[in-house]
Amino acid sequence: MELLPVLVLNGLVWGLIVALIALGLSIIFGLLDFINVAHGDFFMVGAVLAWVIIDVTGNFWIAFAIVPVIGLVAGALIERGVLKPVENDASLSIVASFGLSLILQEGVRATYGATPKRILDPIGGITIPVFGFDYEVYRLLAAGISLIAITGFFLFLHRTKFGTWMRAVRQDRETAIALGVPSDRIFMVTFGLGTALAMLGGVVAAPLTSVEFRLGLDVLPLCFIAVIIGGLGNLPGTAAAAILLSVLEGMITSVVEPTTARIISLVLMSVVLLVRPQGIFSRS
Amino acid sequence: MNATARPLMSSGPTWIGPAVLAVAGLTAPLAMVDYQLIFVAEILIWGLFALSFGLVYGFGGMLSFAQALYFGAGCYGFNLATFKYALGTWGALASGVAAAMLFAIPTGYIATRVRQHHFLIVTVILSVLTSAVLTSGHWRWIAGPYVTRSLPFVPAVPLGPFEFSFGDEIVAYYFTIALVALAVALAWRVVSSPFGRALRAIGDNEQRSALIGLNVNFLRWMMFVFAAGVAGLAGTLYTLLARYTNLEFFEWTYSGKAVVAAILGGASSLAGPFAGMAFYLVMAEHLARYFQQFTIVFGVLLLIVIRFTPDGLYVTVARRLRAELIRRWRGGPTL
Repeated sequence: MELLPVLVLNGLVWGLIVALIALGLSIIFGLLDFINVAHGDFFMVGAVLAWVIIDVTGNFWIAFAIVPVIGLVAGALIERGVLKPVENDASLSIVASFGLSLILQEGVRATYGATPKRILDPIGGITIPVFGFDYEVYRLLAAGISLIAITGFFLFLHRTKFGTWMRAVRQDRETAIALGVPSDRIFMVTFGLGTALAMLGGVVAAPLTSVEFRLGLDVLPLCFIAVIIGGLGNLPGTAAAAILLSVLEGMITSVVEPTTARIISLVLMSVVLLVRPQGIFSRS
Repeated sequence: MNATARPLMSSGPTWIGPAVLAVAGLTAPLAMVDYQLIFVAEILIWGLFALSFGLVYGFGGMLSFAQALYFGAGCYGFNLATFKYALGTWGALASGVAAAMLFAIPTGYIATRVRQHHFLIVTVILSVLTSAVLTSGHWRWIAGPYVTRSLPFVPAVPLGPFEFSFGDEIVAYYFTIALVALAVALAWRVVSSPFGRALRAIGDNEQRSALIGLNVNFLRWMMFVFAAGVAGLAGTLYTLLARYTNLEFFEWTYSGKAVVAAILGGASSLAGPFAGMAFYLVMAEHLARYFQQFTIVFGVLLLIVIRFTPDGLYVTVARRLRAELIRRWRGGPTL
């Protein structure tokens, strides 16, 4: 089929963006030990902030530079103010993040409005021929940015002192604290980092979709699927699962409709959960 | 002797609360006009929905975002029995509850095999999957035209030689409170049975419970199915009262309504979810006059309640009140 390569390419682009967001969810889970239900809404807020900044300054790259920083700071503040008091109870943390999700969605609806808005292609809609189709260069650029961000994130985890501390707390919290790792600061930065990743994903994805307050509701299940299939807390597994699934969905879309493709991947995930609850990339 | 050292649940009469509520419920039509009665009936129906979350979360320790699925399944079962098989009100009611429980048997089996975070994710994914199937427009043999269809006629309730019309607000009111009371009584029976106690033990310490021979997964599964039946009854009663259903009822964010109300009121008691839902709906009614995005207020309230009274507002207040009353009763030191 002629369309197949393009659909696979689209899948790859989206897969990289979802991988970026899902990594944020996964690192928060790995350290703070709870599933952040508001994660999709942070992605949405990132896209909305991108729209607002572009509306004011007219430049996409300013949004690209500022929004992740806002995410880092806002995430750290939220961790300190909202999540810290309930950090010992995983269920309460999840409920707290649901409250956060309500606040973010309704807050955006109250200020930004309920109508979906679009962002112009930041590089002026240049296309190049790919497999006989005119393919938007921005999509390739978005994939490249995501890939660089993902690589940067892993380098941060493995090559810096702070990243090593984070991995240490994840591996064995008590020993790490006993050895003097500042766990409170690590939790704060981790949540900030996770939020920044989601918001960066929002900025990168904003020109590819319509920006509205319900955007997070579509992305959150995708991240959940990636996180489950990759193995909860398994970072490389999560990224691989997100890309794999998205490419697979692209391939299925060449045969059936997008909704059916989504349903197939949801069923696939349920099967994985039943057979291998620890994910397909993790050992039991 | 220190009064607070005694277990409060077993001291003092336990029948006073239900008795007061029963009298208030039965005499409400004397003091209220028709639309107020319907509002009370709606609070009870949505309260039952919140109770269904309370049963899985407060009593079973499972944080579920799938309760809306079973509320929706209740609506679906009701419509299927009404439009396809013309079963009448009682048949449709039974069909709604049965549809919810039948749907919960496979979905609950998948969900209760996993724990905590996985469980939450599974309930969300199951809801997303169901919504996707229903909204896609394919596979019409699954949902057919029965998912969103509003009742075109006023339902009648045959009772022995009599037949009452749901068009009469008093009938609708008494019918609703009778069934809600029945469901609550059943729920009380379930949570205070050995089965309910076993689930509490599992919530306290799963490993020990498994070691003393409790079949953890099976018990959690059965509680999930029972709670689904409660949600299904709420959905059925809602279809009957409002004569309206919506695909939105299946979405996982709709479960959020039950989560918010149950946690605000207190998920680990039977009355807490009702109190929370009454608070939610009355507040929503007032706030909606001023701004459309009133849900934001509940988001903030949720964070505050979790922070300061994680047991829920109703449960905390009731516990204090109870302790104070018992202290006065026994002539001990007052607050």
